[in-house]
Amino acid sequence: MHNIFSRVNNVSAFLSSCMMTLLAAIALSSFLFTATPHGDLTISSIKVVASNARRYPNKKQDVAFMNFNITADLTPLFHWNTKQLFVYLQAEYTNKQGVKNEVVIWDRIVRRKGDAFVKFAGKNKYMFRDISSSFKGVPPANYTLKYNLMPYVGVLQYGEAARTTEELPFPPSQRL
Amino acid sequence: MSFEFPEGKIDFAGQSLVELISKVTLSGSAVVAFCVGFALQDLRMTFAIMAFATVVVALVTIPPWPLFNRHPVKWLSKDSMKAKTN
Repeated sequence: MHNIFSRVNNVSAFLSSCMMTLLAAIALSSFLFTATPHGDLTISSIKVVASNARRYPNKKQDVAFMNFNITADLTPLFHWNTKQLFVYLQAEYTNKQGVKNEVVIWDRIVRRKGDAFVKFAGKNKYMFRDISSSFKGVPPANYTLKYNLMPYVGVLQYGEAARTTEELPFPPSQRL
Repeated sequence: MSFEFPEGKIDFAGQSLVELISKVTLSGSAVVAFCVGFALQDLRMTFAIMAFATVVVALVTIPPWPLFNRHPVKWLSKDSMKAKTN
């Protein structure tokens, strides 16, 4: 501490240690907030259309379209360490080979508490297709509204806000 | 015309005082920043308090203020050593 360089070195090193402890404390404080909000999800219609793959126009592929209604009050999830919420609607089913499929068909990023009351009625944002190119043998699927709480400092937190009460089957494919 | 960076020397009593001030202020402000931010649920307040404390500590400890030079080391004069060896 006998000259300026030495004092700058000492003070900045101690400041780094204090900041790391503070950030660890902030990350741990996230565990004190245990809100589990719930919402409503209704799928109003599902339609499967026989069309072609986007990249290979000669390859046949079934594409599913759905209309749905989502309401969820996610404001309890916003605390001081919440940076944003990633809210997504997922279709879940286990196909004949026993493989579990989870397909995200709609999502939204919520950055402020004021925007956290999610209310959406519309159709899926992303193309919903099965890896086998056809929905013929696919069993009925469950639709879930999930969220991912992204903190400023700390671990990601996942949760489920809504789930369809019964599984919804895919109708036979039709031509548009 | 070369620029010599000032050494900024302070005496030993000043050094221990600087160490005390910087450690107490920085750790104390980290605790205060966490508590105030948690109570207000505002993370920006936490970092604002830490930034303010850092600036204050830097202004108090880094420049060689006269108050850190009040107890300079009393070196023995060269004559006292000559007297002993003789």
